[in-house]
Amino acid sequence: MSVVFSDTGRAEVERLLTRYPDGKAVILPALHLAQKEFGYVSDEAIVYIAGLVGTSPAEIEGIATFYTMYNRKPVGKYHVQICRNISCSLLGAEHLIEHVSKKLGVRPGETTPDGKFTVTKVECLGSCGTAPVMQVNDEYHENLTVESIDRILDQLP
Amino acid sequence: METVLTTHFANERYRRLDTYRQYGGYEALKKAFAMDPGQIIDEVKKANLRGRGGAGFPAGVKWGFLPKDLSRPRVLVVNADEGEPGTFKDRLIMTRGPHLLIEGIVISCFALRAHACWIYIRGEFIREARIVDEAIAEAYAAGFLGKNILGAGFDLDVTVHRGAGAYICGEETSLINSLEGKRGWPRLKPPFPASVGAFGLPTIVNNVETIADIPWIITNGGETFAALGVEKNGGTRLIGVSGAVNRPGVYELSAGVNLKEIIYHHAGGIKGGKALKAVIPGGSSTPVLRPDEIDVSYDIESMGKIGTMAGSGGVIVIPEGACMVRSLSVLMNFYAHESCGQCTPCREGTGWLKKIVGRIEEGKGREGDVELILDLCDNMMGRTICPLADAAVMPAQSFIWKFREEFDRHIGEQKCPYGNRF
Amino acid sequence: MPTLTINGMNVDVPQGTTILNAAKEVGVEIPHYCYHPKLSIAGNCRMCLVEIEKFPKLQTACSTVVNDGMVVRTDTDKVRKAVTGVLELMLIHHPIDCPICDQAGECGLQNYYMKFGLHRSRYALEEKVHKKKVQDIGGQIVLDAERCILCSRCVRFLTEVTGTRELDFFSRGDHSEISIFPGKPLSNNYTGNLADICPVGALTSKDFRFKCRVWFLKAFDSICTGCSKGCNVDAHHKGDILYRLKPRWNDAVNQAWMCDFGRLTYKAMNEARLLTPFMREEGARKVAAWGSLLPDVAFRLKAAAEKGGPDRVAVIASPQSSNEELFLLRRLATELLGTKNLAFTHRVAGDGFADDFLIRADKNPNSRGAQLLGIPDGEAFDALVSKIAAGGIDALLVFGNVLGPLSEEETAALLSDVPLVVQVGTNEGPVSKAATAVLPSASVAERGGTFTNHAGRVQRFRFGFPPRGKAKNPVEILVALGNRLGAGWTFAGEASVFKAIAGTEPPFSGMSYDSIGMFGQEIKG
Repeated sequence: MSVVFSDTGRAEVERLLTRYPDGKAVILPALHLAQKEFGYVSDEAIVYIAGLVGTSPAEIEGIATFYTMYNRKPVGKYHVQICRNISCSLLGAEHLIEHVSKKLGVRPGETTPDGKFTVTKVECLGSCGTAPVMQVNDEYHENLTVESIDRILDQLP
Repeated sequence: METVLTTHFANERYRRLDTYRQYGGYEALKKAFAMDPGQIIDEVKKANLRGRGGAGFPAGVKWGFLPKDLSRPRVLVVNADEGEPGTFKDRLIMTRGPHLLIEGIVISCFALRAHACWIYIRGEFIREARIVDEAIAEAYAAGFLGKNILGAGFDLDVTVHRGAGAYICGEETSLINSLEGKRGWPRLKPPFPASVGAFGLPTIVNNVETIADIPWIITNGGETFAALGVEKNGGTRLIGVSGAVNRPGVYELSAGVNLKEIIYHHAGGIKGGKALKAVIPGGSSTPVLRPDEIDVSYDIESMGKIGTMAGSGGVIVIPEGACMVRSLSVLMNFYAHESCGQCTPCREGTGWLKKIVGRIEEGKGREGDVELILDLCDNMMGRTICPLADAAVMPAQSFIWKFREEFDRHIGEQKCPYGNRF
Repeated sequence: MPTLTINGMNVDVPQGTTILNAAKEVGVEIPHYCYHPKLSIAGNCRMCLVEIEKFPKLQTACSTVVNDGMVVRTDTDKVRKAVTGVLELMLIHHPIDCPICDQAGECGLQNYYMKFGLHRSRYALEEKVHKKKVQDIGGQIVLDAERCILCSRCVRFLTEVTGTRELDFFSRGDHSEISIFPGKPLSNNYTGNLADICPVGALTSKDFRFKCRVWFLKAFDSICTGCSKGCNVDAHHKGDILYRLKPRWNDAVNQAWMCDFGRLTYKAMNEARLLTPFMREEGARKVAAWGSLLPDVAFRLKAAAEKGGPDRVAVIASPQSSNEELFLLRRLATELLGTKNLAFTHRVAGDGFADDFLIRADKNPNSRGAQLLGIPDGEAFDALVSKIAAGGIDALLVFGNVLGPLSEEETAALLSDVPLVVQVGTNEGPVSKAATAVLPSASVAERGGTFTNHAGRVQRFRFGFPPRGKAKNPVEILVALGNRLGAGWTFAGEASVFKAIAGTEPPFSGMSYDSIGMFGQEIKG
């Protein structure tokens, strides 16, 4: 079962190809696009992108598994990524991670049975001044407390 | 104090082209187009502008490494990968002042005779990439990018390229490989990017802040910029303070500001009235300082003299009551997670360091573990293709040298005296 | 020519030479894994760290070019500790597989551990990172990712030599693992080279798996008989059993590589061999002694030529024979039997697959030699086959095991009505089934000689071990037959035959075994 990008997706790849001297430079953007269009980077997506840029699936797999943002397995509707690096830890990130795990009933790395939340511990998100910080899908949530995390997660549809 | 970058950051509209221009935006560009590229590079040299990414290499000197012959097109790559723990300043520039960056890019490319620039933004900065993209679109529409900019006959294309989650891609050759669509493995040097860089072309890689400083330097002159700092470290820096302080955040201060003043005056001192225990001064990869060591100028030379680095300008403040072994364990986990795996000492060494420090913190440390860590550090330092191994080693060594008793206690008592908590 | 001083010794090297290669010139071996002379420089294993005067940090010898006046040391404590340190880090996750690993005895980790390690492990067994073991990844290769030291040679080979890149690095850090994409196994014709270039037992040969410990193997130089490329090989054997072929370095022919098909050609030398001479009597094979069979065959051939005339006698040569054998056979046919019915079998039989690298459509090692020595093929062979089919031949001398392109059935049909079929061959097949007399001959491992490859390069293959069973060197068979037919030949082995070839055959004029040497020599014109 193969996959292809939507018309807009294909148009975006075409546009990107004009922005670099070498076509392989679209591999990272293409993987982001695949994640957006297919929900995660599936085996089929890898084979598809390999065909688009003219290389082997192994090479694309090597790239997809090198970078943490590409999910090779589906994640929940909301990917709750909590920073566990030094500044956030100094301000209680460990406690927040424990709290979220208990609240959602999963361990870091796992997805809730209803498929709504995946919780992961991530490294520095580059917002140390407003630690503790987490990223839920595309959005940063900063200056976290137990209360604010509860509020944020409870309000997600 | 005179500010170079943050002057109008409090104004949320400053990110828009119309507001940016109201405050004199793109006037520096007009001035630059009337200059000779060589003159621009001279101003940057006079400015004593040291790279703001962490390595602190003089920008004007780096620019001079491009080959004299123009037969191969040269390119500029802006490093917006901002991954060094404790560092969060480039994000501020991109969200509050993206046009500062763009104007800096156009002037720099004009000086370097480059007609293509890619801004490599770390993948997690999704909102920031969107803001920069919008600013770029505004710039194209207004004729500050694209063909025949301001009728000066200069063409330039700028493209945002998003990363996908890898700290190592902040290293310039790893970034170049990632830009080209590869795994983020650093390259052997030589050849240096100035001769063989992105897509094989002569390339200059500069940090966001370094480039953002350029318009002000052109408007006010290199010497004026230099005078804001100290002898070998000109201008102001965006210094991020995080950890246990009352007012964490980014502060634009002289490059020669006093470190104690940064923490106690600007950042409001230690949270909860606690005492200070340790300071990691320039991002997590820099050797840690004890409280009695922080009364020092934050400039690159002075920090080097006391055996640490100003690095990426990320001051991390550790309070009394925090476990140093646990703090180191967090960092060792980080480097092991981020090691690209290309070369043996870093790939295996960071993983091993993580395991040893981890077991010490869990109360399972073994006799000889501290000596093992230090020996391992010796076998990693300076042995690798890129400095990530060194970045893991410097915290490990300095934490042990300056807080040895804590490690010995963990091992001797077979538990964390702080109850496995921060 | 910049001068390098290494460990106190001076050496001049061409501009662009790396320290690693310069050191070799003066006998200094710098340990390394990722460097391979036929692949790009990776510089990532970090074993080849050396001390260079005026450089604050140790540098990798594989990637540092010699500048005039450079002073390098590899024998200092600092370098020794660095090398031991890198080796220790490579070994911390390495599984203790030596007792079951095929690489034992030719393993880079074992070798350098004995030289630079000899340390006790400081890493606990239960902390080792585990990866996937024993994976059939296609082609001729088994992958054990846990043994891999991530030197990247395999990925570079598949990127730069075959261009197929079926293997790559997945994940990062100490969880990095070489693997194929699921469902996309190795699918090129050169997979066997991966086992050669892998310094450890991560990539090993399926065919060779668990067959023999390498320290029992002896090696001799040979030439692959799989096609007309003539790849140079090392043949490995224990006693009279061949275990594997590995490419031998020759920049003029195959660089450091050979194809998968060629690698398995050794099997034919071990299996289904003709080992006993026999003469068919009343349809049944009757074992004969060389002493009586050779005169008998010579007599019968001579009788057939005299009775019906030379035109009723035919000789089919094989492009698998050596130059020396073909030279003698041509003379036997034309001078001694006086017949013009002489040809060799088709060059391209079977699928005729070829590529733009090593594989050629002609699956024979010496078609060019046969042609240069004046034996025709193609139409001449076809005409001869028609003549035989029409009942025009009473006595046929055949070299080889098959009559390419004829099928088994066609061969059986063709030969069934020929009164006398004498075969000089190595393996059972359609010819031996139909032959009246079978004279078993030595395989390419059991004799010496030369082949001429497609490009006219004459290359030596060397004697490995004495022929199995009662098989005989075909040069001996031809000299014996020739002399029984009145040749008066005094040749004593292939060297003397080659001297004669060099003396009388213009393409080979002036050549000698010495001038051919290790890398071969091209014919004139």
